[in-house]
Amino acid sequence: MPRYRMMYAKEGPARYISHLDLLRAFERAARRAGLPLAFTLGFNPHPKIAFAAPLGVGTAGEREFADLELTANMPPEEVAGALGRALPEGLRLIELRAVADQAGALMTAVDRATYRAEAILSRPVSAGEAERAVAAFLSMPQILVEKKGRRGEKKVRDIKPGILAMSARVNDDIIVVEAELKTGSSGNVRFEEVLDAFKEKSRLPVEGRFSLYRTGVYAARGKEKKSLWHV
Amino acid sequence: MDVIDQILPVVQKPARYAGGEWNSVRKDWDGVDLKVAFAFPDTYEVGMSHLGLQILYWIVNGRPDALMERVFAPWPDMEEEMRKRELPLFSLESRRPVRDFDILAFTLQYEMSFSNILNMLDLAGIPLMAEQRDEKFPLVIAGGPCAFNPEPLAGFIDLFVIGEGEEVINEFLDAFLEAKRRGLSRQELLFEALKVPGVYVPSLYRVHYGEDGSVLKVAPAVEGVPERVTKRVVRDLNGAPFPLRPVVPFTEIVHDRAMVEVMRGCTRGCRFCQAGVLYRPVREKKCETVLEQAAGLVRNTGYGEISLTSLSTSDYTPVRRAVKALVDEYARQGVNVSLPSLRADNFSVELAKEVQRVRRSSLTFAPEAGTQRLRNVINKGVTGEDLLKTVSAAFREGWQAVKLYFMIGLPTETDEDLDGIAGLAGEVLALGRQAGVPAGRLRVTVSVSSFVPKAHTPFQWEPQAPLPALKQKQAYLSGKLKGRGLAFNYHDAGLSFIEAAFARGDRRLGAVLVNAFKLGCKFDGWSEHFSLSRWLEAFRRAGLNPEQYANRRYGYAEPLPWDHIDSGVSKEYLILEHRRAMAGLTTLDCRAGSCTGCGLCPALAAEPVYAEA
Repeated sequence: MPRYRMMYAKEGPARYISHLDLLRAFERAARRAGLPLAFTLGFNPHPKIAFAAPLGVGTAGEREFADLELTANMPPEEVAGALGRALPEGLRLIELRAVADQAGALMTAVDRATYRAEAILSRPVSAGEAERAVAAFLSMPQILVEKKGRRGEKKVRDIKPGILAMSARVNDDIIVVEAELKTGSSGNVRFEEVLDAFKEKSRLPVEGRFSLYRTGVYAARGKEKKSLWHV
Repeated sequence: MDVIDQILPVVQKPARYAGGEWNSVRKDWDGVDLKVAFAFPDTYEVGMSHLGLQILYWIVNGRPDALMERVFAPWPDMEEEMRKRELPLFSLESRRPVRDFDILAFTLQYEMSFSNILNMLDLAGIPLMAEQRDEKFPLVIAGGPCAFNPEPLAGFIDLFVIGEGEEVINEFLDAFLEAKRRGLSRQELLFEALKVPGVYVPSLYRVHYGEDGSVLKVAPAVEGVPERVTKRVVRDLNGAPFPLRPVVPFTEIVHDRAMVEVMRGCTRGCRFCQAGVLYRPVREKKCETVLEQAAGLVRNTGYGEISLTSLSTSDYTPVRRAVKALVDEYARQGVNVSLPSLRADNFSVELAKEVQRVRRSSLTFAPEAGTQRLRNVINKGVTGEDLLKTVSAAFREGWQAVKLYFMIGLPTETDEDLDGIAGLAGEVLALGRQAGVPAGRLRVTVSVSSFVPKAHTPFQWEPQAPLPALKQKQAYLSGKLKGRGLAFNYHDAGLSFIEAAFARGDRRLGAVLVNAFKLGCKFDGWSEHFSLSRWLEAFRRAGLNPEQYANRRYGYAEPLPWDHIDSGVSKEYLILEHRRAMAGLTTLDCRAGSCTGCGLCPALAAEPVYAEA
């Protein structure tokens, strides 16, 4: 069945849509758009829409990826036009392409993601201070975080190997942290974990919570990022 | 950075507060004269499932001179964050404080949401009592089924709208706009609003109490105020505004589907049922109207399910034609059709087969009482034989689970009637086995609620069974409904007890509500939040006893706290029906052609409307 890959943004009110609800939101949008969405068989059919990587509730996604299958061939421009008009506020289609049958599955290909976080500083911080804080953070031999296991037991693990890059800068009273993190089925690191550890170690005067953005999701080619369009 | 966006990431289900849903309407704030906030005093998921909200949202936002935005009761985790940061209650669309609107309109679906109304007013920074509010604050109005006994809320609400909202909302908004243009005071505005039929302004009525503390009457306090307020009824539903672009939530809600209301009202005349009286007379939409509206809804919402809603959809005359046409049209598109409730007869199983061609989930029936004697008393026109035949057919057709709804504590109930519940459940289970449903799959769920006497029904005079008796009945049934394939669940009896007190309460209960709010009562319809001891304390501090309201038999001759609200059905008829109930006599469905003489049609100059089959 014809498969299409889309890059979309999930921002504004849509960033509070949970992963499960996102599937429903796309299903409804596709139906409004009049697209012949393909469904799985069985008692509880669900639409064949596959997301590259779940996005935490509250984090905005600037360039997210998903595949969807239709039961009939349609020109990609037509699918994009119809779907784009049927998406609710905050879900924005950026680009849509037809993908070949032999193209890989997004979820298995995903290897890393890039992020940005912004927060207000309660006192001025110099650019140098922010940079030094990141350097000190990354120079630690290990970055241990605690996580509760399924049965409530505490697990400690080192997230440092999953932090592929990280930087910080200051715009007036706002600190901006960017990072590239391991994402997917193995060695996945959550951006919140990194920020919590960074806030604690650096003692930078961050006020309130960080606003979180995932700026991209990628496959890997060796040590480099590879676009999911080419998977 | 917006304070709301600082809070949302840390609360459960933030989509409840985010807005921006498909078909939600955000108008230019300064471009309209009149701003209305529609307030649903329960969670987003419950409120968004309510068709009435979507109807009024559609009507008001359809006016160029007005806007309507939505607000729901924040869940306690959200409330805590809001109070911590002094963030006032805000609307979903523009995120403006509710306080900034001209009108704050509550819907009253359930007595146990009253505490949330007080809490929402407080969160909005609006004084609780109507008399403490001047023109700086929104006019607080309310409508919905509980407005038919508005007295417990009389102190908090400036104005009630009695009956169906489609027409009166526009008349009222016009009157409000005119008053605003003329710069009228709040008091003057309320007098103007009175001219709109169906409007009840509680502050213009005085309650007269007898020496024993009973209510003698609720009467106009000043001249020019009508003695009784009669409910509003929409004559023709085909022409009534219906939301073809309802708001489609991001997050899963209770009724997460496109809803087409096929008819309003019900002709069955169950004697405990308040909706059956409030929504009289029955008015069916034409099949063509239903199909057109369904098509619009599917196109505009993208929902994967269409529900044909009403109080009793299998009674809708062209139901079969409508279901067949919808299934034929939409099954290919992966859109299912569903029916909310089923009557216990073969016709219903046929219908259910039609809508559930693939998946056979569970079927729900509501015999309400365990013996024929008691079913006659409540005028539930279904026999045990009907039920068993129907269930048997359903099992043969492939259903494996059946849910049965009953009420306990009904007038005249004895242990025999409780035994009847257990007996019926056992027979249904046996039929399932006989039909060859695998033992591991066969499931009969018995769900039991406690009878709550409601205003404007033939049982409005009846006492609720005392709380210990209700608990005893639950325990009795619990002992009898055990075994493989049987599941038994029941509602919190304490909650039904407080519900009964408010359902038949008078204006003095306002003090109880204030106490309850101060004691922290909220989300009382949710058993995890309901606390009987807090409510008892709230009554005690007001010097009142809930048993006086819930467990007392009211007299036929005794003035009732809601006598000044006219549902269209005469009190004489309700008395007659009550007497017939006590004699075990049933009353025919008025659909059958014989008028039962309830008095509504002549009183309201309305009549039942039936569609062609």
